[in-house]
Amino acid sequence: MRKIDKKEADAYYRIRTTLIIIYLAIGFVVSFGVVFFAEELSGFSVNGFPFHYFMGAQGAILTFIILLFINAIVSDRIDKKFGLDQVKKK
Amino acid sequence: MDAQFIVSLSLILGTFGLYIGIAFYNMARVTSDFYVAGRNVPAVFNGMAIGADWMSAASFIGLAGTVMLLGYDGLAYIMGWTGGYLLLTFLLAPQLRKSGRYTVPEFIGDRYNSGTARLIAAVATIIISFTYSIGQLSGSGVVIGRLLEVDTAIGTMIGVALIAFYSAVGGMKGITWTQVAQYIVLITAYLIPVIFMSLQLTNNPLPWLSYGQIVSELQVLDAQLGISEYVVPFTEATRWQFLALMFTLMAGTAGLPHVIVRFYTVPTMKAARWSGAWALLFIGLLYLSAPAYAAFSRFILMTQVAGSSIADLPAWTTSWVNTGSLSLADDNGDGILQWEELVISNDIVVMATPEIANLGVFVIGLMAAGAMAAALSTAGGLMIAISAALSQDIYYRSINPHATERKRLLVGRWSIIIATVSAGIVALDPPGAITQIVAWAFALASGTFFPALILGVWWKRANGPGVIAGMVTGLVVTLGYIFASRFAGLSILGIIDTGAGVFGATAAIIAIIVVSLITKAPSQETQDGVMDLRYPEGMYYKNGEVWIDDSKKE
Repeated sequence: MRKIDKKEADAYYRIRTTLIIIYLAIGFVVSFGVVFFAEELSGFSVNGFPFHYFMGAQGAILTFIILLFINAIVSDRIDKKFGLDQVKKK
Repeated sequence: MDAQFIVSLSLILGTFGLYIGIAFYNMARVTSDFYVAGRNVPAVFNGMAIGADWMSAASFIGLAGTVMLLGYDGLAYIMGWTGGYLLLTFLLAPQLRKSGRYTVPEFIGDRYNSGTARLIAAVATIIISFTYSIGQLSGSGVVIGRLLEVDTAIGTMIGVALIAFYSAVGGMKGITWTQVAQYIVLITAYLIPVIFMSLQLTNNPLPWLSYGQIVSELQVLDAQLGISEYVVPFTEATRWQFLALMFTLMAGTAGLPHVIVRFYTVPTMKAARWSGAWALLFIGLLYLSAPAYAAFSRFILMTQVAGSSIADLPAWTTSWVNTGSLSLADDNGDGILQWEELVISNDIVVMATPEIANLGVFVIGLMAAGAMAAALSTAGGLMIAISAALSQDIYYRSINPHATERKRLLVGRWSIIIATVSAGIVALDPPGAITQIVAWAFALASGTFFPALILGVWWKRANGPGVIAGMVTGLVVTLGYIFASRFAGLSILGIIDTGAGVFGATAAIIAIIVVSLITKAPSQETQDGVMDLRYPEGMYYKNGEVWIDDSKKE
């Protein structure tokens, strides 16, 4: 065990939390946001679907999947930057 | 006994033989470190296992039918059940993984330092899992009813016997490779008919790209019939109901005990993130296909079935009419079946469509095998959650602390049998469509566990009295709203029973915050424990200082 600067640990916490807020905001917009304005967004089509239907049936889900993968990759990078990837589990 | 019966039954038995075979092979190999076995599994396969755990009769049997009958409004289920993984992976999974507890009642009991909170969490686990299993049993009723061409209620009774037996002897939960096999069977069974229908209707083997064209044609057909168009939003319920249902399903996903457990058992926080991402990819494959399935089914029913002569309906109709889930009445007596005269239950759309589209005995049998795997594996997991809560958290911890191992096991077995039979009795006359019943379970989870876990992880000031008040309030408000909406017609902003979680969660969050603030703050030790969850593995928080442990290198 060695002590590390609390500032460094908190920097880690802050960057992770900020990213989570960004990811959740994007997730919120593509699902709740699009549903809320469904009528307004139904005017144009994507691949045969009105836009609101496309987002509900495909767009939102694809966004969720991409966000989770981005999170996994970016978090690995952050762990590496903070030197945490060396710390293995028991 | 016709060819279809033999093919379906042998596929069901064959796939179950495969799962059990894999389970035995694995058990023989790793008896010594049974629990560790799951931990050496790569995140990709763990993702598949989570997918198999997750996809129940509601997703497999009920979802496409719900989307077909509700049109755009049914998409709340699609977005809700996938979006929940964002909340789970971002807000809960890594922290719960770090906490090192193994069940939800255990985490709540330790985090809030309260035996009462643990007991309430155990009771909530039982109520949620029980409600959820009603949906699974009614799903198995649909499959077995069709297979044996008997009433769905008789099918449900046979399902009860199967599930009680299967869970009481141990089931096949927790064995990752079995679940990987289940996922593969499930997804293959689901995708084959969608791809075949796509080829039949659009000559394109990729349903995800081709069904937009069918959706456009459906709009034209609807306009001709003068019925509300398939893609028009909020025809079945209000905008607020859509949003409330979507919230309920998302928050419920993040609070469902049997789903969260999967994240406790991964080896690291990193593995938790990757498993979550892979899981959503594999789950998403089914959820992206369900609306395509729905559109194809509706198109086939509207163009090939509606409009045909009543005297001359295809053979598949008789078997489904016999199960009581399909009715074809020539109301206006013109000898032709109109679209309006065809009443199909949400729950049979997925199972009936391959027959309607004439996809052949093998595909139909595969669907039956996939559906049985979905219903039985999830029901098995739920029964085990109920039995653990009853025998460990309630009986052993609160009633009889001196109970022997054997006695606890006995209590566990009997609780499975009693729970399955009573869920079966409710499922004989299902109180709603499968997706709807399951949505109630999600509403209960979002009203109890979601607030307790989120605040428990992110707010160190939350304390025992707060969480007790919160879970009780959430449970009462959610249950109250479901019953008031169903039996007394209560609806606020058009929000009905399935959206009840939004009220439950709000009430619970307010209760936790208010009661926590007017009572004593949790001990310094507990608060330090919550601070510790902020930091990744290997970093420890103690007395305002952060320590890094790099001694345990492998």
